[in-house]
Amino acid sequence: MTNTIHIANAKGRDASIGILAVKPKAQALPGILNGTLSFRRYFAASENCTDGELQKKFGNDYSNALIEGDPEIDMEVIGRAISDTQTVFLSSDKKLMFAEPNFIDVVYNPDGSEKERRPPIEVASNVNSDIPIKWTGRKIAISEAVRRFMFRRTVQLCHSDGLSFDFLFEMATELEKDKSLVLLGTGEKGSSPLIFQSNGRGYRGFLEGRTDGKRYQLLLHLSDMELKVPSPKSAETTND
Amino acid sequence: MAKSVIVSLNNQTSSFSISKIDRSKLYPTRKRIAIDENGLPCTRASIALDGSQVIKSGMTAQGYFSDEGRWVPKDEVVGINPDGSLAELYPSTLGIEQKLEGPVNPSDILSFEVSSVYHLGNEGVDDQLQTELTNGNIFRFPFNYGADFNLETAYLLSNSEGTFCLVGNPKLANWIEEAAVFVPDSLVVSDDDDLDFEMV
Repeated sequence: MTNTIHIANAKGRDASIGILAVKPKAQALPGILNGTLSFRRYFAASENCTDGELQKKFGNDYSNALIEGDPEIDMEVIGRAISDTQTVFLSSDKKLMFAEPNFIDVVYNPDGSEKERRPPIEVASNVNSDIPIKWTGRKIAISEAVRRFMFRRTVQLCHSDGLSFDFLFEMATELEKDKSLVLLGTGEKGSSPLIFQSNGRGYRGFLEGRTDGKRYQLLLHLSDMELKVPSPKSAETTND
Repeated sequence: MAKSVIVSLNNQTSSFSISKIDRSKLYPTRKRIAIDENGLPCTRASIALDGSQVIKSGMTAQGYFSDEGRWVPKDEVVGINPDGSLAELYPSTLGIEQKLEGPVNPSDILSFEVSSVYHLGNEGVDDQLQTELTNGNIFRFPFNYGADFNLETAYLLSNSEGTFCLVGNPKLANWIEEAAVFVPDSLVVSDDDDLDFEMV
């Protein structure tokens, strides 16, 4: 994950700028009176005592075995805390793989149906590349943008020296005056989404500027979703 | 089915059905799958760093533990505010009338971390509220889907697609002065498995 982006202003001048996450205020957390609480993962069963294995072992006598004894409990393992682990893969016949598996990408439609299978496409981060993030010039009023897009995250642009302070302060002033957000894009034409890490999610970037005397806030609001109603078929699949 | 969102503006009550929406309901999503030498899907598992156990699905549980290692049942868990005081447990707001605040400044939503988005269906909306929403006005009200130690905020708004409720918590950006020194922090932008971004 990058802490720097390469961005151009309305005049096409570009600079490398620091970014910081804008985080929500601290929230209440679970605890106990007169002590501290930790959330831990632990063993509930050993490999031979999972529900699936016991079903295989006892078949139709599974319920009787549970009544007569405790076959699901392995006293050597149960309750042991699980700390650091490493991801491994099991083959289709449930054997531990000692070589890295192959990968494919499966693309699903919004209704949950499979759209296509294809070899994985590696996507590089593009916010700190040779081609700067472009100021597209397309401005959207704040009152319209907040009713049209869902902003998932915000990063704050921060200068690293006097020159980049002037660069960002000027941007913030211009945007504040217009009460609008400017759409930012990547690529030669500035039409591609912003990708902050390899194989990461693509975001549309909307830049907002605020000033207070000689202080500024230049906020890059990231959206990956419009405020739209799903088609009835896709809404049926995952309603809660 | 979830209870309704009930809100009031100028003592006139409106009721909405609620249905959660996310990216996967609007755009195609991608899932990267591991396959073995026969082209069949593999299962993801973990291995303890000492190699003693391969941890498969169904072998683990999770819970709260005290300093002494005692498992703590849920009814003993309380909420602790960032200042160390005891937090109040807020019940679900669904099915309970909530007073609307506003119209609010649209910029408020830009200082807000959205955790959930709901599409709201009309179950009986007051004419005045409907007019306000159609005119682009936005309202705020307290919201909790379930009981929680934090009371979230919801923004009620409408566009040409329908009426929506954005739920989350406020966030604050810092003012930056010329003398400020940039210190990088660790940004949390999830490496999710979605791709095409069919918008704008």
